[in-house]
Amino acid sequence: MTKDGHDHKHCLELFEKLSEYLDNELDEITCQEIEQHIKDCVPCFVCMQTLKRTVDLCKQAANKPVPAEVSQKLREIIENMPKTTSP
Amino acid sequence: MTKSNPPNHKKVKDKDFELVQAINSGRADKFQDLVERYEQKLYNFSLRTCRDTRDAEDLVQETFLNVFRYLKDFRYETKFKNWLYRIAASTCIKKRRKSKFAPERELSLEEFIDKEEADHSNQVPEWAKLPLDQLLGEELANTINQAILSLPDKYRLVIVLRDLEGFSTAETAQILNLSPPNVKVRLHRARLFLRDKLKGYFKNDEGWP
Repeated sequence: MTKDGHDHKHCLELFEKLSEYLDNELDEITCQEIEQHIKDCVPCFVCMQTLKRTVDLCKQAANKPVPAEVSQKLREIIENMPKTTSP
Repeated sequence: MTKSNPPNHKKVKDKDFELVQAINSGRADKFQDLVERYEQKLYNFSLRTCRDTRDAEDLVQETFLNVFRYLKDFRYETKFKNWLYRIAASTCIKKRRKSKFAPERELSLEEFIDKEEADHSNQVPEWAKLPLDQLLGEELANTINQAILSLPDKYRLVIVLRDLEGFSTAETAQILNLSPPNVKVRLHRARLFLRDKLKGYFKNDEGWP
């Protein structure tokens, strides 16, 4: 990922862990290692930022309302079910 | 759907606890309240996991029917919501098996690394820097939904549960009956796949670098 004097293998190792980093699922030492690395490695920093933004956008994606006819049909089906749950 | 409680089992008392107890104590009429509570979430989950709107509607119906059928067996070992999504996910997987026999495409980490290397990005693009509310809109929401729908099935369910429904890795693993490391691997690849789609979207959209 990097052109300027960085250990390419190291970039690839960290690339695998970026999601776990964003989700706070890594141990402290690995987090520090990633933070140190992206301070010096611009492509990895860009990669991290675009991945983070992708996750944020997914998390903010709005829900669609249920169409009235779908909701109505569901209510009718439930209305017509026997009024006891499983024995 | 488990039949018996382990000894000293502690019930999970979430926001649905009382309602589920009421239904199971004979107030079957209250089931509509449960439907109202989860209908929209489940409908959107279904739209994002089924490629066809009709299938999504069927999935919502089948899930609620199954919930109604098996609610008496719910043992409060997990949040009700997690149990509901477990039923929805397994109904979704069964529907897919019926309709499709082609093997699923695997996403390899290498394909994303190769693209990354070709990209040689040396600055953070505008779309990753601007405040989120300046980006969000119907068109982008549709792009995200379309990108999710173009993911191979096994990755799609994981990213929908994790990033759109907000379940943790452990909860997603439980809902899908996968190991937590497997959830993490699939999630990372799914996110990289989506990131590529978003990069393409912003590159092709005039006004974005």
